[in-house]
Amino acid sequence: MKKIYLIGNPNVGKSVVFSRLTDVHVISSNYPGTTVEFIKGYLSLGDEKIEVIDLPGTYSLESSSSAEEVAVSLLREYPKDEIAVVNILDSTNLERNLLLTLQLVEEGFPVIACLNMCDDAVHRGVHIDIKKLEEIIGVPVISTCAVTGVGIKLLIDRIKEAKPISRKKLSHDERWKEIGYILEQIQRLEHRHHYLREMLEDASVRPISGLIMAAGVIYASFKIVRFIGESIITKITDPFFYGTIQPLLEKLSIHWQEKSFVFHLLIGDLINGKIDFKQSLGLLTTAPYIEFGMVLPYVISFYFVLSLLEDIGYLPRLAILLDNLLHRLGLHGYAIIPVLLGFGCNVPGILSTRVLESKRERFIASTIISIGIPCVPLQAMIVGLLGVFGGFYVGGVYLVLFIIILILGFILNRLLHGYSPEFLLEIPPYRFPPLAMLARKLYFRVKGFVFEAVPIVLIGVLVVNILLYFGLFDIVTGVFAPVVHGLFGLPKEAIVALIIGFLRKDVAVGMLAPLALSAKQLFIAATLLAISFPCIATFIVLWKELGVKDLIKSTLIMLTVSIIVGTMLNFVILR
Amino acid sequence: MKKVSLVHLKPNHKGKVLEILGGMGLQNRLMGMGIYVGKEIAKLSYIGLRGPVVIRVDRSVLALGHGMAAKIIVETE
Repeated sequence: MKKIYLIGNPNVGKSVVFSRLTDVHVISSNYPGTTVEFIKGYLSLGDEKIEVIDLPGTYSLESSSSAEEVAVSLLREYPKDEIAVVNILDSTNLERNLLLTLQLVEEGFPVIACLNMCDDAVHRGVHIDIKKLEEIIGVPVISTCAVTGVGIKLLIDRIKEAKPISRKKLSHDERWKEIGYILEQIQRLEHRHHYLREMLEDASVRPISGLIMAAGVIYASFKIVRFIGESIITKITDPFFYGTIQPLLEKLSIHWQEKSFVFHLLIGDLINGKIDFKQSLGLLTTAPYIEFGMVLPYVISFYFVLSLLEDIGYLPRLAILLDNLLHRLGLHGYAIIPVLLGFGCNVPGILSTRVLESKRERFIASTIISIGIPCVPLQAMIVGLLGVFGGFYVGGVYLVLFIIILILGFILNRLLHGYSPEFLLEIPPYRFPPLAMLARKLYFRVKGFVFEAVPIVLIGVLVVNILLYFGLFDIVTGVFAPVVHGLFGLPKEAIVALIIGFLRKDVAVGMLAPLALSAKQLFIAATLLAISFPCIATFIVLWKELGVKDLIKSTLIMLTVSIIVGTMLNFVILR
Repeated sequence: MKKVSLVHLKPNHKGKVLEILGGMGLQNRLMGMGIYVGKEIAKLSYIGLRGPVVIRVDRSVLALGHGMAAKIIVETE
């Protein structure tokens, strides 16, 4: 056996089965020439290590989407007797899932059927005669519950039994009749009274109750993210930095002369004679404090809430409720997902715009995300620095960004030609994820952040530190002073922060701290940092996803918006 | 027996699919989701005048864009 393929409808728990079959080392790949991804891993069967490929969710072998085309191409790569196809089905929804199974068997693939979510099936009163199903369709059938692990070992043991069988190829109508016949034989539905869960599922897709629920969910999400983030800061990281690190650094720094290069590099400038984690800008002071003391707590809390919303299955509901509004901006309801991801970090947000069908939509979504959606590091710093002036100012930044997104989207929608195609989306039932899976997802996301962001922050602070020490910023501040001071009302040194914004947004906001800005100035500066040039990581991703021409268009839009908004804010806000 | 598009079908009502006003591409896409001529579907809701239409097919819930829903003609009382 050369390869094992996992194929099934979206939302059947393929990824969970995949993670049960393989080790942790998993490679996510792109099918060449497309934006469709599939995941590879390895399963140890006896002495052999066989490659397992998790194909994108497919409804039918008759390709009607790029995901399906990729799945079919991959399946056909190797001769049928050298592969095994594990078809994963949702036990609570056999009616539709069996379509793919029958197609696979008819095509002569060696199939083993895995009826997943057996716990949910029992819960909803769905009883399936596994043995009879095996007799009727002629392939091995295993009942599993991937989240708890039930049935997985049996599945692994029986994979070798998968072999092609001959079955007459049916027409569409005949196939549906066949499915109906099969279900009569094997499925017994017990009538269950509507659970709270089912009522919530229905309520979430009706317009009025749905919008109320959405507002509630969004509000609760903000509150929880803020609560967890602040708790981590006040109870864990701040005590650590102020109680342990600060005294330690103070002892260490006695060894160096205050104005020496080493001191300046490691500790930074002393503010009022003391180490100030926010303002000193040293490699041992500000760099770790920004990343671990201000940003990381919010990275953890944000991704916790997002992963929870994803796994519960709430996001598609949000997508359809917002579809109307997003159409005015030239987008689909589904674009809400890249936007939500963008709140964590613009990079995965923009990468996930690949799920949008048209180039026009991808351009609008990517531009809106890089201009109007602040990432967690940026948000954490805004809250940290602007928060002292009151929640009003922090809320104000979000409000301005929101308005910019609406106006920009509206304009782009009018100006850009093209159309946004229809969507067809499945709304999965609510499923509470096991905490272990949630923890694992969170771990990978936080780990990704730490390993990617921290080195860049260190480099950023290092560069700033050196440039400041040698007084190299003065030239730049002179050149841009008219714009920075005349239009935006900020001290000319603020240009340094804006330039650093190209490297990292959080460090850039940190650069504003020593400037002693008024509330209004800080408000304008923070907003400008959010909307102006994207950080280098985002810039590179935009380049890759949009191509050079569109990247230039996007950048020009960003610069224009920044200048207009900065100027307007300066002259419109009075205090 | 009335013939209406999915857009005009009243919420919480059922209908049997009579016709799909589209080419093979649309028909195949819908077929993969379990929607085909003769299938009974129930409309759950619609979001706004030109918003998505939410339907139940067997035991899955699907949301269709307004344009797509307008092309699915069902028979209902």
